[in-house]
Amino acid sequence: MNSLTKNYDAIIIGGGHNGLTAAAYLAKAGRRVLVLEQRHLVGGAAVTEEIYPGFKYTVYSYVVSLLPPRIIQELQLPKHGLHVMPLEGAFTPMEDGNYIASYSDEDDTLAEIRRHSKRDADIFPVFNIMMYDLARAVKPILTMIPPDPANPGLEGLRTLRDLGGHLKSLGKEKFHWLTKIMTMSAYDFLREWFETDVLIATQAQIGVIGTFLGPKSPGTAYVLLHYYMGELDGASSTWGSQRGGTGGVSEAIAGAARSFGAEILCNAPVKQVIIKNGQAIGIALENGDEIVGKTIVSGCDPKVTFRTLVDEKELPSDLVDAIDKFKYRGSSGKVNLALDGLPTFPAMKDKALIRGMQEICPSVDYLERAYDDAKYGGFSKRPFMGCIIPSTVDPTMAPPGKHVMSIFVQYASYDMPAHGDRDQQREAFGNAVIDSLVEFAPNIKNLILHKQVITPWDIEQTVGITEGNISHGELMLDQLFFMRPIPGWAKYRTPVRNYYQCGSGTHPGGGITGTPGRMAAAEILKDGN
Amino acid sequence: MSAQNEHPNKYDVIVVGGGHNGLVAAGYLAKAGRSVLVLEKRDLVGGAAVTEEFYPGFKFSSLADGAGHLLSEVVTDLNLSQHGFQILPTDPLILSLLPDGNHLAIWHDVNRTIQEITKFSSVDAHAYPKFIEWMYKISRIVAEMNRMTPPDLPEVGLRDLKGLFSFISPVRGLGWKHITQVVRILPMSIADLLNEWFQSDIVKGAIAASAVNNISSGPQESNGTAYNFLYNWSGSNTGLFRSSGQVKGGMGALTQALAKSAISLGADILTNTEVIRINIQDGKATGVTLANGEQILAKTVISAADMRTTFLKLVDPYYLEPKFVRNVNYLKYHGTMARVHFALGRLPIFWGLNGGSEQLIKGHVQIAPTVTYIQQAYDPVKYGAYSKQPYLDIQIPTLTDSSIAPEGKHIMSVTVKYLPYKLSQGNWDELRDTIAKFVINILSDYAPDFGQCVQNYNVITPLDLEKVYNLPEGNPVHGEMTLNQFMWMRPIPGYAQYRAPIDGLYLCSAATHPGGGVTGINGRNASRQILEDLK
Repeated sequence: MNSLTKNYDAIIIGGGHNGLTAAAYLAKAGRRVLVLEQRHLVGGAAVTEEIYPGFKYTVYSYVVSLLPPRIIQELQLPKHGLHVMPLEGAFTPMEDGNYIASYSDEDDTLAEIRRHSKRDADIFPVFNIMMYDLARAVKPILTMIPPDPANPGLEGLRTLRDLGGHLKSLGKEKFHWLTKIMTMSAYDFLREWFETDVLIATQAQIGVIGTFLGPKSPGTAYVLLHYYMGELDGASSTWGSQRGGTGGVSEAIAGAARSFGAEILCNAPVKQVIIKNGQAIGIALENGDEIVGKTIVSGCDPKVTFRTLVDEKELPSDLVDAIDKFKYRGSSGKVNLALDGLPTFPAMKDKALIRGMQEICPSVDYLERAYDDAKYGGFSKRPFMGCIIPSTVDPTMAPPGKHVMSIFVQYASYDMPAHGDRDQQREAFGNAVIDSLVEFAPNIKNLILHKQVITPWDIEQTVGITEGNISHGELMLDQLFFMRPIPGWAKYRTPVRNYYQCGSGTHPGGGITGTPGRMAAAEILKDGN
Repeated sequence: MSAQNEHPNKYDVIVVGGGHNGLVAAGYLAKAGRSVLVLEKRDLVGGAAVTEEFYPGFKFSSLADGAGHLLSEVVTDLNLSQHGFQILPTDPLILSLLPDGNHLAIWHDVNRTIQEITKFSSVDAHAYPKFIEWMYKISRIVAEMNRMTPPDLPEVGLRDLKGLFSFISPVRGLGWKHITQVVRILPMSIADLLNEWFQSDIVKGAIAASAVNNISSGPQESNGTAYNFLYNWSGSNTGLFRSSGQVKGGMGALTQALAKSAISLGADILTNTEVIRINIQDGKATGVTLANGEQILAKTVISAADMRTTFLKLVDPYYLEPKFVRNVNYLKYHGTMARVHFALGRLPIFWGLNGGSEQLIKGHVQIAPTVTYIQQAYDPVKYGAYSKQPYLDIQIPTLTDSSIAPEGKHIMSVTVKYLPYKLSQGNWDELRDTIAKFVINILSDYAPDFGQCVQNYNVITPLDLEKVYNLPEGNPVHGEMTLNQFMWMRPIPGYAQYRAPIDGLYLCSAATHPGGGVTGINGRNASRQILEDLK
């Protein structure tokens, strides 16, 4: 514990991927940095753990797609072990035994869509171009420091002018699509393009990820776009999985941070930020130790950042009020399976697709009903699931001949288990997942060696994210840009001097992007800290 | 409506459709000295704002049920009071009935409402006046937005800046910080908005109900319902989130007054006159062709009809770009309401209301006890079905205006939500009696003798809205009031300035900014735009 006597320029609370990214950038700029992580390993929600001997689970997250090349390059992440393998494609079985698939090769995808509808196949490339155009249009906004319209200052006015100019430069048609995608439901938006229900379902499911909304709820089209931005030029040209599990991404960022001189301390839960005369001067650990730092950065979600780590009397009451209104509503859970062999999907004609993603969203109504089932509390009886079997492409994940299956599940409400015994509820939720999967992969039940079921409540308990929302708060229009996490405090700063925020609860939001961490670090350096 | 037998064959302006917005536009244009002809397909003007005598002596407000959102300038500019328009005040605004016999009334008087809310939650009673004060201020911003011609974003011209300034200036007193809050609130769902203020489900239900008017989704999952809520508030004659009052003689009295006003200003109005084509020559509107083959010339044509009728039926597609037609095709209508009208032999007795019950049921009586109830009333609509526990909005106008029914008898009009226009099973013409019966059943839970009071009933299904009242997919406001169909996106992005993509053709229906409701704003804004263009 010798190192703790040192004076740090920056102390990062929380070793999730954004905290690590901020640490890496600050260390790279020559700052003495310490990262404090409450758990025994870094990564936050992006960790790999061997829960069952010989099998590595990507416990909470599942795919990697949104990490920008700029961060990969600036932090030299491949040198530190980043190795993302693109998924083979995606496969969606239908209830009538048919299926639809997509491939990294567009021609193959078009041939597949043509099997369902010639019209949709013809229009799909046009749709893709439009989505990439829109993603390109939004991208510069994501890396803008959100101005505060109430108090813009010179810099804010400049950003607003740039924003206006940028929107104008899009031209009418693109601007109109942009305003539509910001406000519509994923279903309504897609319905303007396609006629094939299952094709719409495979796209619409992207729009509901991380939200407690259905594909027909307005606001979900934007989420679809958010994920398209990852496909634009993310770590891979499509969704991929990290060698050794998603924890490898966090490890790579941590490795980069360490290479720049940052120190990372695990098993070190922070109790509070120490504040003197309105200025953060250090932190107090749960064990009573205090560490001095010039700058304190929270990588935690907004509620933890403002309500747990800081005494209420240090904050203006309208901020406290606004943070209390911030909407989390975790909606997704995770089921991880250790399998004795490969599951078989009878509908899967092209067996290579077992190396891709298997999406259980056979129709728009299936998705919508999954939402309706869960929205009054509880979980979907027949949930929407995104499955990958990383061991098919990465032999390090499971013993030879065996496999791990990583299942992202929606919807499960955060307060679900509150209605009864949490263990029973978790069990019932896990059973609903397996039973629904069996409809499409009948042999899976007999292959299960071990099953780990995670509800939003479990995510909160273990990882510390409020209400278990994977994006640190819903990605809804009223919680974006200069309103993320709350109006007036979207520039990574807080009312406490030298106390900053850098988690997914800040602009531009969730996913394994590293962008909030990178932008927060830039702001901290700009302040001369 | 009788008009001149011999109308001239040439006008400055022809208005297609005699709904209230068409009549308002006609009135303003006639007042500005233009020669105006209004053409209405039905045998009476008024569109969705009409009084019809379904049973002798009983005069029903068929669809629209109040004029509390009518822009006050329209009333004064067009002298509507002189032409017989009068709103009889009602109070309370809302009576929310609860299954346990309890109820919550929202009165004009905030203090009286606070007392009511105290029955359910003292925290909410405390929050209510703050909520009203704060939201009222925001609603003023929306009110100003309603009056402007939306800018053609992202191109912002000098004229738009002027408009923008006029909308910002009355609210600058709010402070910029609060204006930021407005941006935050508009895209929210009404449930989320109310959760920020209130705890009691009953209080939230009573307030939330009106936010889903003219929207086909539920209060919980529909981002943007907060905007719709503020839209309703912005024009309300009560300064509160819901308007009040009964038009004397029924809603038709308003549109009759508008027609009389227009005629007195020199306009001609022809009923039973169907337009089958808007004539276009060299890319410019030149007049209309009637069903009888007759052609009437005009320099300017305004369509007060909905977008589908205007552009998929009346205008030759040759003159329209495919992209425009595509956008018209994808306008979201999704009507989800029906009206059930009852001729009552006497007033039913609501068992939960003790003395003074006649006073309590003078406004909107809601069966929408909680936000969850309303949401659940909507859920089956997604799959083409309907809930047997619908959200009902009930009015008994005879309690305020005895002239519309035979002596001692009463009228009850019920708006039933949600009923999908597109049914997955069955068809609306066969379900007419089913709907009436389940409404009677539900009402009998609250007023056990209701069935015995009913002498006759008339059901207007979502399909009737389309067939009889020319409202596509049974949506009474010519397109859902969702965020993607507001402001510069209403009716279609790029065409929010009341101009059609054809020279000389304008739009003034509820499909245009600012949207639905009996406001007259669309007609007024459109006529202002036309007069500016003609300068």
